[in-house]
Amino acid sequence: MGSEKGISTGELWARLFKTPSIGSYLDENSGTTLPSFADYIAQLSDERALKHETVIARAGVERSFGHRLFNGTRNPSRDTVLQLALGLGLGCDESQQLLKVAGMSPLHPKVKRDAVVAYCLHNGRTLMDAQELLYENGLPLLGGAKHE
Amino acid sequence: MNDRALHATDELLDAINAAYADDWPAEFTDAYAVMECLGEGQGCDTFLVQDPEGNDFVAKRYDKAVWSIDLSCNILKALDHPAVPQHVASYEGESCAVAVRTYIEGVPLDRYVRENDLSEQDIASITAKLCDVLAYLHHRPEPIIHRDIKPQNVIVRPDGSVALIDFDIARTYNAARESDTVFFGTRAYAAPEQYGFSQTDARSDIYSLGVLLRYLLTGSPRENRNVRVYRPLEKIIARATAFDPERRYDDVDQVKKALLSANPKSQGLRIAGLIAAIIAALALLSFAGFQAYKAVTWSPFNSDAIPAVLNDEERVADAVAFMQDRHGTHLFDNADDTATVGLLRQTLIECYGLDRDYVYGSQEEGLPGESDEFFMPWGWDDGQTVRKETAVYAAVKVHDPSLVAEDQWSKLPDDNGEYPGARVAMMFAEDAGILTGANQPYDISVGELALIFANADRVFEAATSARF
Repeated sequence: MGSEKGISTGELWARLFKTPSIGSYLDENSGTTLPSFADYIAQLSDERALKHETVIARAGVERSFGHRLFNGTRNPSRDTVLQLALGLGLGCDESQQLLKVAGMSPLHPKVKRDAVVAYCLHNGRTLMDAQELLYENGLPLLGGAKHE
Repeated sequence: MNDRALHATDELLDAINAAYADDWPAEFTDAYAVMECLGEGQGCDTFLVQDPEGNDFVAKRYDKAVWSIDLSCNILKALDHPAVPQHVASYEGESCAVAVRTYIEGVPLDRYVRENDLSEQDIASITAKLCDVLAYLHHRPEPIIHRDIKPQNVIVRPDGSVALIDFDIARTYNAARESDTVFFGTRAYAAPEQYGFSQTDARSDIYSLGVLLRYLLTGSPRENRNVRVYRPLEKIIARATAFDPERRYDDVDQVKKALLSANPKSQGLRIAGLIAAIIAALALLSFAGFQAYKAVTWSPFNSDAIPAVLNDEERVADAVAFMQDRHGTHLFDNADDTATVGLLRQTLIECYGLDRDYVYGSQEEGLPGESDEFFMPWGWDDGQTVRKETAVYAAVKVHDPSLVAEDQWSKLPDDNGEYPGARVAMMFAEDAGILTGANQPYDISVGELALIFANADRVFEAATSARF
């Protein structure tokens, strides 16, 4: 099957991620305590010298909701986490970690929508780029927009 | 839009499109978008999918190289229960079969137990709810054995109810089959016979239920002698997980019954309870009768008088049903309404056979007048709301006037402004467990009125039978 397509999803994933196996993401010892989501996105913003305001705008998240995410009074959906990953300019591996901290399922090679998002993260694309690509592929946009 | 060659001759993007080209049956992709991979298994993956309106569903994708028939569809199609998912549609592709079911909103039990500080009582209650779901499956004309009961497959809904998911490997019980040839299930939770030496039946699910209960109590599905488990629950685990199916509970209803009569609440009080029981026994020997209960702490849970593991809502429903069974009354049907003094009087007349004149008397409204001719402490108007202590006073007095008679409510209040009779009734009620589930401090609902009377009935009944 894989040979007909030229490239398997596994190989595809290996090219998008430094840690290609989904297993390595899942198996990492769950004993270590993860930071809170709010702390973690604040830390990532600081590391990149980005203002929270900027990240929120780039993530296309409604402003007051964005600030609630940063101060920990609201929890994100999986799509919101992916939007923030794009807003923060994270790579694929960092995005997986962010999903993990949020308690969300990781980007998965068996899901085409995840692959498109991973592609955009891998190439440092913006949220708008990602939405355009999703739209062109007939996939639901990030952030709950209904697909056609 | 900026033209940064978003997809111009991008080899990787082409690869993405190619790689997913014929992954799913075309009719499926027309109807649903795949959003998340929820789980991977042997030739069977589970996905969160969305219809064009944005509604969530769950799709199971079976690799045809591994699976010859689609078990899940047939089983779910036959089921109609709020605690199990509903079959929506199925699709055949070249390399796979896809079954779509409803999405059940909530938190998997493994996460729920980590995120919430559950008491033994909560845990017994969750497990008892799961027994109800299993009873539905096991008691069908063709029993369905789930065979993969584990915390990840139990969903706790926002309203606190539980649902059972992942019916992949559940199948109808075929009594003619000698043994199962393929291993199904999750190792830590699977009964020994699921490894193939004999046919699995409902008792395999009971085994897994026992392991699940152990996991909820100790944090591990495996036995750990260093972790102390409340003994009555430990006994349930031991019997449910017996190696020989013959030595397990035969039926989930038995497990539920055992859970309900186990008393997680009294764990810390067991020694105190034992001492109290000895004092009570001595007191009873001296024919002190009920007066003894004023002096000792007596837990009705010890004699199973009041169901131990129910939440407040369930308690009210249980009490309304109890009153209906016991007294044949529909007085409490509107459980959410506010209780009135009129209803309290009706209860005393209809359910406890008190004389109408005795209950209504001739006192003027607002005057104290409790006497041999008048049951109620005051001349209340029928439309007035009922304070908790009024209901408790009546519920205790109707069973044993001697408990409160010497301290009539309507005597003058003491220095603290409390009426002595009411205080005695409340203290007794608290010790005896009559207040279990009655949390409203002042004006009570119809359901809570039923609860107080039902609790009192049960406590006095248990105490009476214990005396002889």
